[in-house]
Amino acid sequence: MIGEAFVFDGVAHPFNFEEGNAYGVPGQMFSNHLYAFHAALTPATEPVTPAAQWLHKWSIDEIGEMVYDHSDTDMLVAMPLPLTDLYRDGLSPWQECARLAQRDPDRTVLWGTVNPLEGKKALDEVTRQVEEYGAKAFKFYNVRYEDNGPVPWRMDDPKVAFPVFERLRDLGINLVGVHKGVPLGPQPIEYTQTWDMDGAAANFPDINFVIFHVGLPFIDETCWQLIRYPNLYASLAASLNFIVRAPRQFAETLGKLLFWCGEDKIVYGSEAPIWQPQWALEAFWNFQIPQDMCDGYGYPQLTDQAKKKILGENLLRLHGMDVQATVARLGRKRDA
Amino acid sequence: MADAVDPVVARALRGVYDPCCRDKGISVVDMGLLHRARIDDGVADVELLLTSGWCPFASRVLADIEAAVTALPEVEHADVRITWDEPWDTSRLSPDARRKLRFMPDPAQVADREAFISSRLSQARQEAPK
Repeated sequence: MIGEAFVFDGVAHPFNFEEGNAYGVPGQMFSNHLYAFHAALTPATEPVTPAAQWLHKWSIDEIGEMVYDHSDTDMLVAMPLPLTDLYRDGLSPWQECARLAQRDPDRTVLWGTVNPLEGKKALDEVTRQVEEYGAKAFKFYNVRYEDNGPVPWRMDDPKVAFPVFERLRDLGINLVGVHKGVPLGPQPIEYTQTWDMDGAAANFPDINFVIFHVGLPFIDETCWQLIRYPNLYASLAASLNFIVRAPRQFAETLGKLLFWCGEDKIVYGSEAPIWQPQWALEAFWNFQIPQDMCDGYGYPQLTDQAKKKILGENLLRLHGMDVQATVARLGRKRDA
Repeated sequence: MADAVDPVVARALRGVYDPCCRDKGISVVDMGLLHRARIDDGVADVELLLTSGWCPFASRVLADIEAAVTALPEVEHADVRITWDEPWDTSRLSPDARRKLRFMPDPAQVADREAFISSRLSQARQEAPK
């Protein structure tokens, strides 16, 4: 726990940057893009790992230690990446995430992933990941590459996306995340926009959808969608990491979300190991929206109550977990 | 467009899109990205404002605009660049773009949040295809 806040980290990826895993130029671009995030947004007071060292196969122990031993995190989502068109193993294979979850089964939750374009194979994989490996939610990526070209799909596609959502619903899964905004590599931007979330949210009101990276740079669109759909949420994963390098920019994003969507609709994610989680956690726990931005733009101030909800309580609720009981059971104070 | 934009350039750019807005058919002109544009002795000088420093396709927009302007018979060379001297804001949108897009006002401009949302929802329902 940081301060009084239970920390439920919504995303960590056990990346495999091992040589030969990336397919061609698009895969290399993706790896370099992720490293650039690490190098550009890590604060000057924190160590930046050289590229040659950072771009390696991250073990589940490295991820577990980074998150649990070196930060105030209490729970974690082991989040796979299904980018099998960019990397031989998808970059963070769900099997590796299952192992990460098994390392700390009380604290680490597995989210599954499939490629909905694969039809029946994807549906079978959903069932397998839920029934055999205990996946509690799923994460999707709307832009795929096949034969060196992008093959995008939409969250409101009745033929591609809806059968997967229906299968999830049949299996009792009611939480779905999707990467939005922040195009990684040479992707058609249209499919990282959030417009397709209307159709998904409207047709599956019993599934809660989390728009990752708060859809940046499409923040206004994201706000308007979260206003209208009670089952849409926004994850600050990666967006949060602007908090030290560009605090006013982060304050603007957060201020808009707090005013329009409210503190109950925002969740946290560290994106470990892109960044060590602790510096951003400390910065967030100590963060205040600059008063001139509250006065000038009308943003609400970030209260301790809002911080507690964003850092953990909201994600616990989305996983159907009792907040008080879980905090009492798993909340921990790390040794100084 | 309040700024000094040569109408010849504006016409040439009505078919150029920021990838973010292509699916809505909103051109760079309708988005209000054109800040200044003039043609002088065969040289086109074009300045753009970006809606966001996050724009991941700035270089693509620049290249598309340069190609469109250079294709004009009176232009031999085009100098297209981004200016950061002033911020883009939603007042630069054309009426058509304003209708298609949904930008949220600063909270300070919203006296009553619930009333604002209710009014927007009602407007959206009226504009929805029947």
